[in-house]
Amino acid sequence: MKIFMAPFLALVLLCPSCHSKWTTHTACKDDKLELLYQSCDPLQDFGFSVDHCNNPLSENLKIRFGIILRYNIKELFLDVNLFAMGKSVYSFSYPVCETDFPQFSFCGRRKGENIYYAGDINKPAFPIVKGEYHILLRLYNENNSTVVCANFTVLSY
Amino acid sequence: MVPWTAVALITATTFFSCLDTGSCHSCLEVFPSIEYQCTDRNFSEVPMDIPSSTQNLDLSFNPLRSLAPRSFSRITGLIILDLSRCDIQKIEDDTYQGLYNLSTLILTGNPIQSLGLRAFYGLPKLQKLVVVETNLVSLEDFPIGHLVTLQELYLGHNFISSLQLPSYFASFSSLQHLDLHLNQIKNISDGDLEPIKLNSNLTLDLSQNPIQYIQPGILKGIHLSGLILRGSFHSSTIMDACLKGMTGLQVDKLVLGDYKNEIRLGSFESNTLDGLCEVDISEFWMVAPSEFPSDSNGFFKCLVNISIFHLVMAPIEELTNLPTFPKLFSLVLTECNFDILPILPSTSLPSLKELRITRHKDLTTLSNLELPNLELLDLSQNSLTVLSCCSDNTFGTTKLKYLNLSYNAHIKFSKNFMGLENLESLDLQHCKLKDQNNLPLFFSLTNLQYLDISYTDTHVKSKHMFTGLSNLRHLKMAGNSFQDNILHDIFKNLSELVSLNISYCHLERVLQEAMESLHQLQVLDISHNNLQTFDPLICMPLWNLQVLNCSFNSLTALDGQNLEALPGTLVSIDLSGNPFDCVCDHQIFFQWVKEHIHLLNRSNPMTCQNPSHMKDVSVLLFDNITCQMKNTIIAMSVLGIMVVILVLALVYKFYFHLVLLVGCKKIGGGESTYDAFVIYSSQDEEWVRKELVKNLEEGVPSFQLCLHYRDFIPGVAIAANIIQEGFHKSRKVIVVISKHFIQSRWCKFEYEIAQTWQFLSSQAGIIFIMLQKVEKSLLRQQVELYRLLRRNTYLEWEDTSLGRHVFWRRLRKALLDGRTKSHNKVAEQGTR
Repeated sequence: MKIFMAPFLALVLLCPSCHSKWTTHTACKDDKLELLYQSCDPLQDFGFSVDHCNNPLSENLKIRFGIILRYNIKELFLDVNLFAMGKSVYSFSYPVCETDFPQFSFCGRRKGENIYYAGDINKPAFPIVKGEYHILLRLYNENNSTVVCANFTVLSY
Repeated sequence: MVPWTAVALITATTFFSCLDTGSCHSCLEVFPSIEYQCTDRNFSEVPMDIPSSTQNLDLSFNPLRSLAPRSFSRITGLIILDLSRCDIQKIEDDTYQGLYNLSTLILTGNPIQSLGLRAFYGLPKLQKLVVVETNLVSLEDFPIGHLVTLQELYLGHNFISSLQLPSYFASFSSLQHLDLHLNQIKNISDGDLEPIKLNSNLTLDLSQNPIQYIQPGILKGIHLSGLILRGSFHSSTIMDACLKGMTGLQVDKLVLGDYKNEIRLGSFESNTLDGLCEVDISEFWMVAPSEFPSDSNGFFKCLVNISIFHLVMAPIEELTNLPTFPKLFSLVLTECNFDILPILPSTSLPSLKELRITRHKDLTTLSNLELPNLELLDLSQNSLTVLSCCSDNTFGTTKLKYLNLSYNAHIKFSKNFMGLENLESLDLQHCKLKDQNNLPLFFSLTNLQYLDISYTDTHVKSKHMFTGLSNLRHLKMAGNSFQDNILHDIFKNLSELVSLNISYCHLERVLQEAMESLHQLQVLDISHNNLQTFDPLICMPLWNLQVLNCSFNSLTALDGQNLEALPGTLVSIDLSGNPFDCVCDHQIFFQWVKEHIHLLNRSNPMTCQNPSHMKDVSVLLFDNITCQMKNTIIAMSVLGIMVVILVLALVYKFYFHLVLLVGCKKIGGGESTYDAFVIYSSQDEEWVRKELVKNLEEGVPSFQLCLHYRDFIPGVAIAANIIQEGFHKSRKVIVVISKHFIQSRWCKFEYEIAQTWQFLSSQAGIIFIMLQKVEKSLLRQQVELYRLLRRNTYLEWEDTSLGRHVFWRRLRKALLDGRTKSHNKVAEQGTR
């Protein structure tokens, strides 16, 4: 009984502070490519999947994405950082939604609203060289409040 | 056993979770007694500790589930109430009763199943109601008919399938925005919009509804401020038919098209917009059409009377065959496929005053324009490289007031804005500027009021950079650099300047005279530089300064003496992000900070960097009392040390006197053994033995004398003997003064002790005998003795019979003074 209680007690007592790290999910998996992600937003996890994990990545990526918004996204900005072997190799910023230029259908959605997106991402096909890559992705609104934060791991075999 | 453990566990969990979040039941105080943020705190009811004066309450993401009547009546001051995603399923009657001032109510993301008929009663000032994603199915039974003050109503992301607006919409005379996006509305048919027919200020958003049919003529006579139909038609055919159905509509702003991620309109023929010929439009937006008809004349056929035209994300590379737009005032082309500027003949666009061609990543060259009436030109966010900027020839107009070339590639200056003297606003930020230092670049722009050259790789070398800009009111030049990282007086002529941004400029010093002429300046941003000092005297000439941002520099403190030079007009000062040195040297500054807390940036507190134990601690916690304490402690300890040294010195000097004092107390009035202790020089010993001892000890009455050669105890230190035997046990002291006495050290010592002894025992106990005449000069060496002898009587030894007789008589009399009976007895016994 005591042996059973000790870890249980520890788990229960420490749990209020244990949701600082969300579990790692698999977005897609194939023989040659694996895509894992983990939410780095302390407030919430999110759902994401890619239908086919081909290497080279196909032109039309069918993705599904679901999240509950914690903030209004009248304006939304994206920061992406790509790391290879622990070094930042590439980074870019992109204005996703702007007040006078709501280019995507989800722009202007409100705090508390659920976003579910299933659709294509169109981009040129490109092969992924063998190795392990990390992508840090952050979406934030006009007040610099984090809307989505994600750590992606790309494993190419 | 198990239930007890469970109880203990639950208690412990609650306790620890409280510790973890830091505040179990209180909310984040954004602005004291005005704004509280209670997001995600696991409240199941409205928290009780919210003050009734609260105006803005955010309760989003709490499991409130159902709201009982008068849930908020205690917080009567509420203006904004956010109940996003609180799992509210039931709103009972009179829930919001008592919120007389509420203007905004947000209920996004609640799965509302049951709404009382009086659910929204008691909201006499409600202007904005957000019921997005709340499972609404129909407007018919949505009980808001009495909210006549509504201005904005957001009903998006629901399951409303009919646009049949209930009759109560006719009473919403202030309604400006009705948002029904992402619902299931398929038809606009007879009578749907009848209640809003008279409201020409209303914008109706029907985006992302699967509209299939608009009954022809149904919108006749309706005047809308705006109609948004983005992503509302699933095919061009449907759109074509629906637009034809809109005959007779008058709309100020019509938005058609799709989204970048959801393009549904397949083919786009030149006659797709034919229906718009019968619609009165002043502003028209076409967003993300999948293709653009090659015959643009046909496309624009029904749009020739519009005043404002936005073409966004259209796959179009050139505009040809433009019809004449007699009224077109503003043309906006955003993110199309232009790689050269489209040819815009002034004959087709005779009224054009505003032209914006932005976000074209392939647009690299600036070809000349010919638009003589153009007043506003925005060519921002392209990839332009301008080799020779800029003159009236470049744009074909001299009337240009507003020019935006920001976020382009390179701009090389050679023409100094010749012929563009009417420019009032010039934005060049985030372009790489070249040759801007060659001459006073902006010399001719005397009417310019706004200039932005932020992040343009500008390295300011010339003092005359801004010469000529005598009317400039706003200057933004963040992210540039200055020669030697010193700010000189380059703003000399800008006496009208109201705001100045020189952040991110690597500045290390600001010269005192740098801002001397900026008397009108209200906002100064000098943040994110490397300033190690910022003398408040710099701000002295800024009589109208209201906002000062010095955050994120390397300031350790501001000069406490000059803080009074900061203008009294200031309403905001930001000093956060500086490595403050929280030491007593800067205590005047930190005291000033505490006194001016209302001016400082609240969201970003000022913290200490040094000393190490104060690192990251708010400067408000720096305690001036410790500084005062320190000063007092230093003063006290110095004083204490001085006192101790003085005492030690005195003790050293008067060591024997003290011993005597201690001895006095010990013996404390004990009987004296001797009548007198004789102090004399050993040279005079013969006289003492033959005359003094013989006459006094053997005479009548007999006196017992204390003589060192006879009465001192052997083996004890001389000094101790002098005190113990000599003074303590004797009533009187006889001092035999002679030439030798004055020269002897021991005599001097004994004499000084005698004086102390006399003082302590407070009786006249010293009898001076002048054995031989001592020369005055010799006597003067002993200042004390000399003074004493001049004031006191003394016996003089005279070796004549009469003299001897008088001498001994006087001496005996003196010795007898204060003698007790016991002494007499002892003396008498001694005689026998």
